[in-house]
Amino acid sequence: MGTLDYIWMGILSVFQGPELFSIFGLSISVTLIMIAIGFLLGIAVGATPGLAGPIAMAISLPILISIFGFSPDALLPVMGFLIGVMKGATIGGAVPAILFNTPGTPDAYLTTLDGYPMTQKGNARRALRVAHFSSVSGDTFSDIVLIVCAPFLAILVEGYLDLPEKAALLILSLAFIAAAVGGAPAKGLISTGLGLLAAYVGTGEDFYPRLSLGSPALSEGLPLAAVILGVLIVGAVAHELTTYWRERGRQDRQDDPEGRDNQGLSLRLIGRIWPYICRSALVGTVIGALPGIGSTLAATIGYTLGRARHEKRKRKGDPSFGEGAPEGVAATEAANSSVSGANLIPVLSLGIPGNAAAVFLILAAESIGGFTPGPSVFKFSTEQVNPELVIAFGLFTCMFIANFLNWTIGGLIMRAMGIMTRVPKQMLLPVVLLLTLTAIYVQETAMVAVWITLAFGVVGYLMRVYGISPLPFVIAFILGGRLEDTARQAFASTGSDPWFLFNNPIAAVFMALSVLTIIVALRLDRRSQRSAKVSS
Amino acid sequence: MESPLSRDQKLGVFFMLFAFLLIFLWIPLDTDTGFIEKVRRQISIGDALAPTVAAAFLMVGGLGLLLFRAPETGVEEPLDQLAMRFAGLLFAVYFLCFLVMWGVGPLVVWVANGITGDALEYRLLRDTAPWKYLGFATGGTLAVMSSISMLEGRFSWRALFTGLVAVVAMIAIYDLPFDDLLLPPNGDM
Repeated sequence: MGTLDYIWMGILSVFQGPELFSIFGLSISVTLIMIAIGFLLGIAVGATPGLAGPIAMAISLPILISIFGFSPDALLPVMGFLIGVMKGATIGGAVPAILFNTPGTPDAYLTTLDGYPMTQKGNARRALRVAHFSSVSGDTFSDIVLIVCAPFLAILVEGYLDLPEKAALLILSLAFIAAAVGGAPAKGLISTGLGLLAAYVGTGEDFYPRLSLGSPALSEGLPLAAVILGVLIVGAVAHELTTYWRERGRQDRQDDPEGRDNQGLSLRLIGRIWPYICRSALVGTVIGALPGIGSTLAATIGYTLGRARHEKRKRKGDPSFGEGAPEGVAATEAANSSVSGANLIPVLSLGIPGNAAAVFLILAAESIGGFTPGPSVFKFSTEQVNPELVIAFGLFTCMFIANFLNWTIGGLIMRAMGIMTRVPKQMLLPVVLLLTLTAIYVQETAMVAVWITLAFGVVGYLMRVYGISPLPFVIAFILGGRLEDTARQAFASTGSDPWFLFNNPIAAVFMALSVLTIIVALRLDRRSQRSAKVSS
Repeated sequence: MESPLSRDQKLGVFFMLFAFLLIFLWIPLDTDTGFIEKVRRQISIGDALAPTVAAAFLMVGGLGLLLFRAPETGVEEPLDQLAMRFAGLLFAVYFLCFLVMWGVGPLVVWVANGITGDALEYRLLRDTAPWKYLGFATGGTLAVMSSISMLEGRFSWRALFTGLVAVVAMIAIYDLPFDDLLLPPNGDM
């Protein structure tokens, strides 16, 4: 089996998978349909303020597992659906940002700066087209980088890193995520510490389940889905609901955008925005490849770089950034969309989730079984077929199919989804909360899972109130068990050497980088605090 | 008197204390093996090490907040106590509604037994319509209706209707198409 054979098998596994129906004798596989359904759902939830891709993923997962079961055949339809949601939600977030000055997803905030002024000037459709074109361009670029880079990175990791280096790499990833995600690195460390602590409750190698307080409910460990959904989804919905309740008197929703324009996306306009898209796509891809750094930072950097270029090159009479410049919409959307593909580089090559959507892909893989994202996936074994590698190329195929849908029908559906912004938040969010808790119960079939989800929902809510990002928590919770197992194996394989993380040069470099990352981040944070104090 | 510490610094102190308790109380009392364990002359990592690393993250994070977050920068927004109370109430409503969900089915069966003289058991009826929907429909509708009413500051028929529609939709999504899925609370009655 050569590399090309694996790629071909991956493509075939999507197109020739279990058939759902056939048209004129042409078999349509269930994976294709699931990608399409996920994509449509993704645009709808992205376009609905208060909802986001991860919520749709969380609610759908138990249904999908119930439909497709726990066999390896379930992997591509389920993960294809989730990839569809991820891609759809990325472009859907721009709809309310442009039409109603309300970002559908947090990373679409910067889109409001130029998108909404364009709407006010009667150029809503043009703004949506610019957002769609930029978003899909950035996303496609990022996917190509993913497909090229992930296998090489995985082969490097598998070829050069032994157990001590892998343990050190996991520590470096956690340190990096703690330092980089959210506003303050110290809060990132706390979030990571809490996630690790939750991962170690009720687990371990001894007969007695550690930290279980003698409770039978905790003695089997905290359910993965209950904790993740509690912190990520229930916490977010509760925070959103309290924000709505606090601001319910304010009526800042705008009237319907005037549809008096009929301006499409001309080649001239594409030529104008293309340099901004390219630059932002590059920025977003580089940032997305680093685990834990969100699309908001990519959008901010893309927008800032775009603004600097625009100020130098704009012609007289062209709007500046913030006044309805199509280049502003392009710079933001290309940057935040190009994060989504690149975010899967650490997932597929190292098994380290980079964002919330990747967390749900890992959750799906762990629930179904038969595919463990990480460097072992990319073993190009020639004698025996490596089924995980076929699945990986199948996933890449799913991404390109979702991109194809995005290029062809995405814009049309995106413009039609303006209606979702009319769904009243106070009606929608309580239903989402019930739906999430029901999804958890259906998956775990135990009331204790609901109590754990609610309890971690409180944790997630409080983290948001105190400005602590929940993402390091979730990533640490997922990686905690693997970190301990790898460290145990590394300790045993080095003959119980207590300095196993420092004796090996690569592991020592990783450990030094971990400490350096934290120190530099803390110092930068202190400097920004001081400058904030001076300016206030 | 105003505290000399900022909110972030207080948070730092809280997590340092928590980490201290974790390292010196919870982990030693609730873990059977130490950092290192010797079994049959082989030394391996014990169960206490990993949680201690987690506590170290908390300790360093707390220390970082205490030392590196400047006191009273003037950029800190005050915590909205009222909003937090509202969130507490919201969580309490969902907790209570799931308790209602858990209790309604057996209660109705008990009342029905009292009227008809039968000796039905909810446990045996939990996968039979309409019994299996009683708890979920009541608790779910109540949860959605109560939270919408809290958000709007008044009861409305629209809130009740939304709750009912949501529950029916969830039954249609999770229950009707699948034989192997059980709605709450029927899985562990």
